[in-house]
Amino acid sequence: MHMTLGDWYFALCGLVAVLGAFVTVSNPNPIRGAMGLLLMILSIAGLFLSLHAQFLAAIQLIVYAGAIVVLFLFVIMLLGPSAQSPRDGRGKIARYFGGGLFGLAFMGGGFLVMRGAKWAGLPPVDADFGGIDKFGQVLFSRGVVPFELSSALLMIAVVGAVAIARGKHKGEES
Amino acid sequence: MSLTFAISPFLIIAFGAMALMLSEAFAKRSNGLALGTTIVFAAAGAFAMAVWLYGLEDIEGLDTLTPWLVVDRFSLFFDVLLCLGGALAALLAGGYLPEHNLDRGEFYSLLLFSTFGAMMLAAAGDVLTLFIGLETMSIGAYALTAFRRASAKSAEGALKYFLLGSFAAALLLFGFALIYGATGHTDLVGIGAALKAGASKQPMVVIALVLILAGLAFKVSAVPFHMWTPDAYEGAPTPATTYMAVAVKSGAFAMMLRVLLTAFGDPSSMSWSAGWPPVLAWVAVLTMTVANLIAGRQESVKRMLAYSSIAHAGYILVAVVATMRSQTLAGASVLFYLLTYTVSTAGAFGALILCGRRGAEAVSYEDLSGIGRRHPAAALPFALFLVSLAGIPPTAGFFGKWFIFRAAMESGLTWLTIIAFINSVIGAYYYLRVLVYMYMREPAAGAPIAVPMRSGYVTAALLVSALLVLALGLSPTRSLDVAVQAASFGG
Repeated sequence: MHMTLGDWYFALCGLVAVLGAFVTVSNPNPIRGAMGLLLMILSIAGLFLSLHAQFLAAIQLIVYAGAIVVLFLFVIMLLGPSAQSPRDGRGKIARYFGGGLFGLAFMGGGFLVMRGAKWAGLPPVDADFGGIDKFGQVLFSRGVVPFELSSALLMIAVVGAVAIARGKHKGEES
Repeated sequence: MSLTFAISPFLIIAFGAMALMLSEAFAKRSNGLALGTTIVFAAAGAFAMAVWLYGLEDIEGLDTLTPWLVVDRFSLFFDVLLCLGGALAALLAGGYLPEHNLDRGEFYSLLLFSTFGAMMLAAAGDVLTLFIGLETMSIGAYALTAFRRASAKSAEGALKYFLLGSFAAALLLFGFALIYGATGHTDLVGIGAALKAGASKQPMVVIALVLILAGLAFKVSAVPFHMWTPDAYEGAPTPATTYMAVAVKSGAFAMMLRVLLTAFGDPSSMSWSAGWPPVLAWVAVLTMTVANLIAGRQESVKRMLAYSSIAHAGYILVAVVATMRSQTLAGASVLFYLLTYTVSTAGAFGALILCGRRGAEAVSYEDLSGIGRRHPAAALPFALFLVSLAGIPPTAGFFGKWFIFRAAMESGLTWLTIIAFINSVIGAYYYLRVLVYMYMREPAAGAPIAVPMRSGYVTAALLVSALLVLALGLSPTRSLDVAVQAASFGG
């Protein structure tokens, strides 16, 4: 099978993303976990780039790599040594077994998907697809309903965070 | 009439929630929040009824919402149902939160916005809006579960719910992504058309369907995806439990019906030999049986009610399976059952709230010993709602079960009907056990006993539920007609 440069790029980004995700969930050191997450986010931004979605790639970098990972690091630093998860051998076999089984099931499913796949023929995208002006046009014309509705999602997330995290009331049970 | 009228239930909930939030932030005292929230819910429900009565044919510009939101009789029915559930939960919160010193105004904003998400879910015609609605509803439910911050149980339940819930949402999203790859559509009608045209033969669609079914089964808390339910229901403050058992479950079933009947309605996804009906039939059998067997062994009444809500999801799944043969009749039995289940469950949790007060909460069966003789006014509604949950006439629960069994029989699912019937007999055991404790036992000497609280809000919620339980149990015809009209949405 002949692989084009684009295929190589996709394979590289995909592999690095999986590697980063694996480091995130498997490394006991939270700083390394956060770095693994960063790696995964960067490679997914790379995948977005190859899909002609430059704006999305930039947003991915700014929001996830720039804000969320940094926030994680702040939290880890504030927690100090207690952020380190204690070594715990309990349920290790069950955990590895469950994880392995799940991974195998997903790989088997993925194999089945790829084998008989007839992908729907989507029309090719315009030259200015993925840029900020095109994106804005879609967001405020065709996609205005979900855009407005997502404000409720953001609102409830903020209110929920406040409800859980804000300081104690006077007289509240401890 | 204009489009604004058609989406007025959404607008009322959203603006009402923001207005109440602002008033809570600036007012010194927040006593009227429960009442305000109930009024907002009532207004939204009333407007949904008004749109229903006015008729959707005369409303111009409804197609500007397509494919994102579908305002039809199905979504209007759910608007009313969800507003009813939300209003009952708000009334219960008005009594429960001050009594247990949890009176923080965020509870009501979360309730309103979460219901907004559930309404979005019931009206979603595209997987994008469906997912936004699902997350809006679920994030509210997570936060409500964690609302009693000082309690370790609450935190545990919320964390389990959050982790498993996000996981299920990811499965659902993965399934939608595969479906998009196979059909090139994200709107449910487009997916349905592409699958009918022949795209459903490939393994990718089957795997997508499996992932979507797993995500849906989690959201309605069907066995084997029910692990979070007892802990989340037990840890959450009881009004939040009520809301989750009633509105979140109804929203999830609305999503399930809409997705399965609109997108997966083609012959090779919806038949007795392939596709979702056989899978869901086995899930239904497992759900009813496992939940009923475990519920009978609980010592905490709240936990028993949590398992009972899982069992009820099983009965509803029987009717969902039956929609493969007759969408209108079986779909109507789902909607009618959700209505009866909403009023009975909200009432049962409300009565549990009423039976206890701060420091003397009614939790276990023992706590309720002899309460029927000491405090008949608190025990009587409890008995009524439990009888309705058990499905004994002349209460709403009887006709709910009756219509489901009839729909399943007419779809030729005799064995499934028999299993559901046996299960409802098992279920009657643990509901009646509460009655035995309330009326025929005396508390052991020195044991803590529950002391009923006094609250106008809780009393109001119980009155409304009791009236509806009796009204639906005595004359179900009209409501069933409405449910039939709602269930015949275009597929």
